[in-house]
Amino acid sequence: MFAGQSIILMLAIPVAGAVLSLLLQQPRQVLTTIVAVSAVEMALAINLWAAVLAGPGIVTAAEQWFYVDAFSAFHVVVLVLVFLLSSAFAGVYFTNDAEHAFTPPVARRFGALWLGSLAAMMLVLASNNLGIMWVGMEATTLLSAFLISLYPTRLSLEAMWKYLIICSIGIAFAFMGTLLAAASMQSGGAVEADALLWTHLASADAHLDPTLMKFAFVFVLVGYGTKAGLAPIHSWLPDAHSQAPAPVSAMFSGFLLNTALYCIMRFVPPVQHALGDGFTNGLLIVFGSASILVAAGFIVFQRDAKRLLAYHSVEHMGIIALGYGLGPLGAFAALFHTLNHSVCKSLAFFAVGRLGQRFGSHEMHTISGALRADTLWGIALLVSLLALIGVAPFSIFMSEYQLLRAAAGAGAWLALVLFLIASGIVFISALRHLIDMVFGEPQAHQAPAREGKLSVPIVVVAVGLLLVLGLWMPLSLSQAIGSAAAVLAG
Amino acid sequence: MFALLETVHALGLLSCFALLGTSRIGACIRWLSFQGILFGLVPLIVHQSGFGWRAGLLAAGNIALKGIAFPALLLRLRARADYNREVQPFVSFVMSILFGIFALGLSVWLTSEMKPALPQAPFVMLDSSIFLILVGLFLIISRRNALMQVIGYLVLENGIFVFGVITVVGTPLLVELGVLLDAFVGVFVMGIAIFHINREFGSIEVDRLSALKG
Repeated sequence: MFAGQSIILMLAIPVAGAVLSLLLQQPRQVLTTIVAVSAVEMALAINLWAAVLAGPGIVTAAEQWFYVDAFSAFHVVVLVLVFLLSSAFAGVYFTNDAEHAFTPPVARRFGALWLGSLAAMMLVLASNNLGIMWVGMEATTLLSAFLISLYPTRLSLEAMWKYLIICSIGIAFAFMGTLLAAASMQSGGAVEADALLWTHLASADAHLDPTLMKFAFVFVLVGYGTKAGLAPIHSWLPDAHSQAPAPVSAMFSGFLLNTALYCIMRFVPPVQHALGDGFTNGLLIVFGSASILVAAGFIVFQRDAKRLLAYHSVEHMGIIALGYGLGPLGAFAALFHTLNHSVCKSLAFFAVGRLGQRFGSHEMHTISGALRADTLWGIALLVSLLALIGVAPFSIFMSEYQLLRAAAGAGAWLALVLFLIASGIVFISALRHLIDMVFGEPQAHQAPAREGKLSVPIVVVAVGLLLVLGLWMPLSLSQAIGSAAAVLAG
Repeated sequence: MFALLETVHALGLLSCFALLGTSRIGACIRWLSFQGILFGLVPLIVHQSGFGWRAGLLAAGNIALKGIAFPALLLRLRARADYNREVQPFVSFVMSILFGIFALGLSVWLTSEMKPALPQAPFVMLDSSIFLILVGLFLIISRRNALMQVIGYLVLENGIFVFGVITVVGTPLLVELGVLLDAFVGVFVMGIAIFHINREFGSIEVDRLSALKG
């Protein structure tokens, strides 16, 4: 119902919420506003998803400008899920922040930038025009930069400056790629205004210049890959994730990275159409495997819990990229992994954020005996880290297993072996960190716990999703992911 | 048309080498302003015969932002920040100029590689755009000063702008406006960031931003 209007509303409501946040007097009102906006977005997202899956597979709005298919609808739902969880958690986190004061000006700034980022990511996912998609992606960088340095300390400013400069260069390269794709379309005789429309670029009767398409994909992969945190261009990621407030880290890791990967994947069908699928798949496998290996190396030596999670993000982005490079079965695994990773990583950042507040530091040696000190977030940390390193019965195990099958099926033996070795390294070193943090005697002095009403529901929903999806995949979800993967196959 | 483009090309090269070899930030900002106006004129020259008002709007927007607004903003930031006004590069100025010569050769080679796929794009402008991108990247990584990094980013942006104008005919106006808006907000955000960094560190030398590692 009203699917086209849903898209417009999903863009307009966060913008309205952002403006409203700027006018509110009390921090608590801002925190309520962001939860309310996310809840409304959730309802609209599910409505949109249902409409896409029930109907002809496509919903459009504003003539040709907005276009949502199964692939983008799936991402919209994951985006809003991460935002809903993180917005609810922001209330718990900021009301307990002893280190910095969550004053009304800080709250207004946070609310406006937070909802602005949501709107920008929605714009990326709903755009049919690759130029507008780029504009949305650049807007996410600019809006989220000040979320990292919400409290302008030396370290957060350093992280923010690196993020701003590195991602601006990356996004500039992505724009070159977008221009080259448009030029390739025009050299095939397209009408001027259509050259940037994805629907035209991906349609079977488009004549694309192969040389330009090749250049375009390399630029797009490196450009958006910077934002997605693919190695070796991930250098901003651990700094930004470790210095941002925990709800912001959760949103970055849980969805901002996926948005960038989404942009890369939008270019894959046209490039494959012009060049065959070997070129894109090869590059995705190389960048994916490199990210997994580099992250595994850094995970061994981490001392800060949030940096540890940040390198896990590099690893999992690599796994998703690898999956996309392995053909239709791999794309299915990659999409399922996107959902699992987003939920799991958000939960992990919530747990580390709260435990960090109670123990007074994110250094892993100060967080010890978390399970005794704080049962709720101790369980959250245990479950999320176990799930992250791929322990059954959690859902990440299932998606990684599907990925292995896809790799075997595609005959990508080298990638498969590298993936297994890196996962082994990650498993052993992260398990060691995990045992130290979760079990044992609490040593440091802890700040008193004041949980809000939403703490328990957040943990229950996230843990429940990870557990249920690990044991049983609903047929409707499997069909939805299947049709999303089919979009990539063209 | 081609004679004019060659003049733009030559003056563009001059501005790039000036940026590579100049030590004073104020002079660099003025060269950047010159470069912004110069390349802002390209849409008018390239689309001389065709549609008038769109190319005019695009040129006016670019000249207003990159020729006037950004340099003014950067000059104000320079006045606010209390620091040594010489650029202190990681790489010496002589080496920077040598890089410029190397980059020029590289851009000519890349242009001749790409030219067959882009028959409608004038060779000198394609060469300019690639050269600007290379020089912009080099300025960002080789200079210590945060303002110089923003200048490098804008040189890179100029290169991409020229590339867009000559390769893609008639992108929708909405997209172009979005791109301009993003550049505007981007520089604005970087300006605020520099303001905060200067207040917190008492300096805008980015080599002080080195606490986060590993």
